Amino acid sequence: MEVLSHLEQAAFFAWVRESRSLLAYPGILLLHTLGMAVVVGLIAGIDLRILGFAPALPLAPMRKFLPIMWAAFAVNAVTGTILLAADATTKLTNPDFFVKMGFIFLAVILQRLIDARVFPAAAMDDFIPLPRRTKVLAASSLVCWLGAITAGRLLAYVGPVSGL
Amino acid sequence: MLDMLSNPAHVHLWLNHVPTVGFGAALVLFIVARLRRHDVLIQTGLVMFFVVAAVAIATYLSGNAAEPLLQDRPGISSRAIRAHEDAALLAFVCMEITGFLAWLALWQWRRAPKLAGWHLPVVLLAAIVTFGLMARAADLGGEIHHPEIAATASAAQPDSEEGASGTAQSIGLFVSGRPWVWPTAETIHFIGLSMLFTVVLIVDLRLLGIAKGVSYRAVYQLLPIGMLGFGLNLVTGLAFFLGATPQYIHNKTFYWKIVFVVLGAINLLYFMLDDDVWAVGPGDDAPVASKVAAASALFLWVAVLFCGHMLPFIGNAF
Repeated sequence: MEVLSHLEQAAFFAWVRESRSLLAYPGILLLHTLGMAVVVGLIAGIDLRILGFAPALPLAPMRKFLPIMWAAFAVNAVTGTILLAADATTKLTNPDFFVKMGFIFLAVILQRLIDARVFPAAAMDDFIPLPRRTKVLAASSLVCWLGAITAGRLLAYVGPVSGL
Repeated sequence: MLDMLSNPAHVHLWLNHVPTVGFGAALVLFIVARLRRHDVLIQTGLVMFFVVAAVAIATYLSGNAAEPLLQDRPGISSRAIRAHEDAALLAFVCMEITGFLAWLALWQWRRAPKLAGWHLPVVLLAAIVTFGLMARAADLGGEIHHPEIAATASAAQPDSEEGASGTAQSIGLFVSGRPWVWPTAETIHFIGLSMLFTVVLIVDLRLLGIAKGVSYRAVYQLLPIGMLGFGLNLVTGLAFFLGATPQYIHNKTFYWKIVFVVLGAINLLYFMLDDDVWAVGPGDDAPVASKVAAASALFLWVAVLFCGHMLPFIGNAF
């Protein structure tokens, strides 16, 4: 606990937490929300296609969206770490935070599995029927992201709430 | 001009002609077009329903912003305001349903030469109901300042008790009074925004040159997912607005958010109606106009997210 409050007191994280500048807490949280929209938006598009929505959408060219998705994921890893360090004593004592991390960890593993299955196959033929297992992976990925969004949003309301 | 815009009562008086006069004109056009079986005019009617439904969001919200300016004036009955507010809420909800149905008909029409037989009659029925409810809301709105036109004495009677309560206020109390409602609505609002961004990103980035192997017709199939996300956010957004009206109507950032939402809806029409964008096939580079429209869409929806996020930080809310 003492380590956590030391971390919070570091100059940069104190600035993030306490400055009235829009570049501090509001700006970093804005990047985190935008990053979420890009990551979940693009993954949901691919997952929904795997599940059978928009059947005319060819999967192979959709892989071009993956680098953008991972770039946004990196933005969120960085902004998320900053937001965590600025509020470590509250967030790290909130079970909801670990629920959120669990969902994201699972979602990343699922994404790697989906990438490995769908895109090499799709490169050969855009419209081959996808096996049931791939659809289960896509549905699980959607569930994990819904869970991550829910747990993330509820961080502001459940457990110890810092007001951040 | 700018002075006028800073007075919400003035803005409301200006905007309230769109869902009444504008919608009436759209309804007449739609009925005539249906009788003459004129497809282009029917589509024009559908576009007008959709645009009026988008502008009606601003009309509805500006009415709430106008209320505090009237409340304490002599001769203004808070019961008449409540009656107008509740009638306007009901008419607004029906108007948005009509707008979604009209949009769905336009979307379907582009994909296939034929609509399901029930679709246009349902749009017509919804539009007639909406028009009736909107006329009633407008009439009750007029009675707030013109008691001489009141048909029934009750609406214009001076109020003895403070702040008569209505449906809109009861919904507001439900949202602000139960601890679980606000966090639940916030969560759904974020899920809705992710669905909206699924479509905004995939459609607009494709037109800007990423994943060129996908045709426009293929990404067009995704549009209803974005519309569903927008619908979720309209419902949950309305819940926030009814639950904590003062923190929105006194917030400039919120005004901008609504301006960007209405512009975003109008921008969407390009992607529904333009023939050049529809012709973009696999591997094709999109025409310049499509790229401009796609970049505008990205800008507008990011601006909506930006304003929504900044509500507590810029301005005086929360």
